[in-house]
Amino acid sequence: MRAGVLEELRAALGPAGVIADPTRLLAYECDGLALLRQKPAVVLLPRNTEECARAMRILHREKIPVVGRGAGTGLSGGATPVDGGALVGFARMRDVLEVNVADRYARVQAGVVNVDLTLAVEKHGLFYAPDPSSQAACTIGGNVGENSGGPHCFKHGATTRHILGLVIVRDDGSVLDLALPRPDPDGFDLVGLFVGSEGMFGLATEVTVRLVPTPPVTETFLAIFTDLDAACDAVSDSIAAHLEPSALEILDRLTIEAVEDSVFAAGYPREAEAVLLVEAEGTEVEVEATLAPMKAIALRRGAIDVRRARSAAERKKLWAGRKGAFGAMGRIAPDLYVADVVVPRTKLRELVAQSTRIARERRLKLANVFHAGDGNLHPNISYDRRDKDEVRRVLEASDEIMKVVVAAGGSLTGEHGVGLEKQEFMSLVFEERDLHAMCRVREAWDPAHLLNPGKLIPVHACREMRGTERPK
Amino acid sequence: MNPQELVDYTKSLDCIHCGLCLRTCPTYQLTGAESSSPRGRIYLMRAVAEGELAATAPEYREELDFCLACRHCESVCPAGVRFGELIESARSGVEKVQRRGFLARTARRIGFGTVLRSRAWLSLTATSMRLAQRTGAARLLGKLGRPLVEMSTVPPKSERAPLPATTPAVGPRRGEVAMLEGCAMRELFGRVNRATVEVLTGIGFETKVPQGHVCCGALHAHNGDLDGARELARDTIERFEATGNAPVIVNSAGCGAHMKAYAHLLKDDAAWRERGARFSARVKDFSEFVAAEMPADFAGTLGDELGTLTYDDPCHLCHGQQVRAQPRTVLERCGAKRVDLPDSEACCGSAGIYSMLRPDDSKAVFAKKAAAFRSSGAQTLVTANPGCHMQWESGLAREGVKARVLHVAEVLAAALRKARPR
Ligand SMILES: Cc1cc2nc3c(=O)[nH]c(=O)nc-3n(C[C@H](O)[C@H](O)[C@H](O)COP(=O)(O)OP(=O)(O)OC[C@H]3O[C@@H](n4cnc5c(N)ncnc54)[C@H](O)[C@@H]3O)c2cc1C
Ligand code: SF4
Ligand code: SF4
Repeated sequence: MRAGVLEELRAALGPAGVIADPTRLLAYECDGLALLRQKPAVVLLPRNTEECARAMRILHREKIPVVGRGAGTGLSGGATPVDGGALVGFARMRDVLEVNVADRYARVQAGVVNVDLTLAVEKHGLFYAPDPSSQAACTIGGNVGENSGGPHCFKHGATTRHILGLVIVRDDGSVLDLALPRPDPDGFDLVGLFVGSEGMFGLATEVTVRLVPTPPVTETFLAIFTDLDAACDAVSDSIAAHLEPSALEILDRLTIEAVEDSVFAAGYPREAEAVLLVEAEGTEVEVEATLAPMKAIALRRGAIDVRRARSAAERKKLWAGRKGAFGAMGRIAPDLYVADVVVPRTKLRELVAQSTRIARERRLKLANVFHAGDGNLHPNISYDRRDKDEVRRVLEASDEIMKVVVAAGGSLTGEHGVGLEKQEFMSLVFEERDLHAMCRVREAWDPAHLLNPGKLIPVHACREMRGTERPK
Repeated sequence: MNPQELVDYTKSLDCIHCGLCLRTCPTYQLTGAESSSPRGRIYLMRAVAEGELAATAPEYREELDFCLACRHCESVCPAGVRFGELIESARSGVEKVQRRGFLARTARRIGFGTVLRSRAWLSLTATSMRLAQRTGAARLLGKLGRPLVEMSTVPPKSERAPLPATTPAVGPRRGEVAMLEGCAMRELFGRVNRATVEVLTGIGFETKVPQGHVCCGALHAHNGDLDGARELARDTIERFEATGNAPVIVNSAGCGAHMKAYAHLLKDDAAWRERGARFSARVKDFSEFVAAEMPADFAGTLGDELGTLTYDDPCHLCHGQQVRAQPRTVLERCGAKRVDLPDSEACCGSAGIYSMLRPDDSKAVFAKKAAAFRSSGAQTLVTANPGCHMQWESGLAREGVKARVLHVAEVLAAALRKARPR
């Protein structure tokens, strides 16, 4: 970094908005994917759109690459810094700017934590539907970056269905204001395009989100299985029967044990091989119409017990257990690799079994906890990053899992994004032509490749494109 | 020095970097910097152990000092990371390799090495503090005297008298307890100590107080003086062993949490670890004990003479000892009208001697609590820890909120007096 730039940034953001000492920078080396690490050159913490824009103008002039960071809970390395680059964090942008109860939307700064948004609107009988398991930490900006999902997205849809508007600071520091909620935008739907862009199109500083009315009745039950396959089959059956609960989650035995040992102990029975967590919401009649056949299916597939949560507190506990599941795995080994793939829901059983086999062959401990309703598998592999050979086997297993999933007609990521982790796998599912098209969309936003460079699109694809299609 | 001895490396490995602890961390809320979050601090500790970061880095110490050791992060961590133990060992490691400035070193030596080890010194300190406050000398001391100016006035000598070695049960005797008098409790909150004895004996328990005991060592451990803490732990264990096997009642959450963890503190010495574990099993927070033993004639005696109460969880009671329901239960059983305090498990910024070492950070943390208290509509704030007690008193006064601050024991004593007028 050129002399004087730091001072300029400090003048733009205030002294607390710039972190440049090597000790503190170390803490920003990685996001939730601790396998990949890179120290940033500087971390910037703007407090509003204006400050963010000011910083981006300076960085653009200096050709310093920029990575956006919400809470750094991403699991694909989306917020891993780049060498010599800046990290722009949104941890000081936590204000809810507007709640419009009548029109059912809210405008928030990008750093608002997902759960704080719901807490801010629940008194109006509203909630923000996408609920990643990391919702107690992850930010709305990060959710936009990854187009995140969550258990209740089975019914309500992932983040993209809930984003109505954005304020975007572009690569050069100009501000694109798309904050007004428009159900049907004029021209291209830039907001829709931006959601899931993993920080490569610009930085979202303000987000306008859709709010959903709290349903009159919510019921949760737990079906207990002595066999993981049977639980998977119950889910496949319920999809075939066109049932629409709001959430359908499976936790296997290893996960249950870890959760029950943690502060989030939910009362999942330890003797079960798998539990199926089902929630339905709506009017009393609607809830019954969903849960009664669900229950019948579970029992038909061999569930040994079906327990209904008797109170709101009990329901909350069941969900807290589910949401603490990844973290609870930390009790098993120092590090956790969370894979994220989507499979056709008719093939749940088969692909769960395959990933278990792949891990077992490599002497790895694998736990399954997943958004079964969406076919979104999360094989969790615990490891110790100090054991180089184990790290190698983990990466190999993850490659292998992705290959069998793609071969079975599934996709690379359900909700955690491509980031650094799955970049090279993009070629498994896309032809060069498609990758080139992606590069061109990206270059429309960021011609100099300064925003989160080296992520998502395989490096070779862009290089080739630059060589062949872009005359100087 | 082997860097792995400067932190509890094994414990640091429990963290899987999920980030679920960020939002509730008061220091992360203030700065938004990853390095002032639990996850960030653990990352730095781990880097020290793995040789990637020198423990001599000033920013490393700054981030450890900045931590309130409130342990809120433990309550939300799914991986079961024991942050309280991590921060104690990391601070002790820093003390080994970093020399503080002359003034800070001297203050630490006098504070931890002399005052917090001798009743005579403690008493002298309290007297001089009171004198400085009453004569206005504290103001003349400028920055040094600021904490004194801002804290509540130290009570007169008459209120700092020792508790008797034995106070007999009132009415039918149901049993016997031992009680921690405490270093600061006696000097600053004699009235709470007396209320504690009044309630314990009032519900039928003869109360014994080991004479000559000074300090449990919690402040030493929290501030990186683990050797000093161990010495005081051994002394505490010995003195309480002499009282028999009765439950040890503690009315200061910070001391209670620390005394329940003596086995860990003394883990390197098998015999003492064993004695520590046995002692710790006897330790009960005041409301933990009373909730189980409260007689029926207490019920519903209190009207609205104390106004509407709200209870603020001391960090070392809720996060440190998992005691959450009992204080609320006993307050309600005695008939007090209680409302919930929003975010009651968030730290108030007192954090032992933190409020004196870092007054600005401490106040910034408190600001949210004051807002929460206002929104609760209560007139009386109830707590269960001396540090929090002082923080609330001075904080609310500073913010211009008229309210009473009481310890759970004081509320119960009031109810008891009403139930059984003498
Ligand atoms: C325990 C745990 C459970 C999880 N459960 C789920 C789950 O159920 N569903 C799910 O989908 N994910 C889940 N995740 C993954 C992760 O939490 C989500 O991807 C989340 O959206 C990331 O949010 P964040 O604020 O941490 O963003 P970060 O990780 O900091 O960033 C994520 C990406 O978004 C970009 N970005 C961040 N902020 C902005 C911004 N303001 N503008 C533009 N780009 C930005 C970053 O550059 C990066 O590419 C989980 C993670 C953990 C650790
Ligand atoms: S919640 Fe626990 S495991 Fe997760 S980052 Fe914080 S300390 Fe580490
Ligand atoms: S103890 Fe409190 S201040 Fe320290 S890291 Fe944990 S939550 Fe933050």
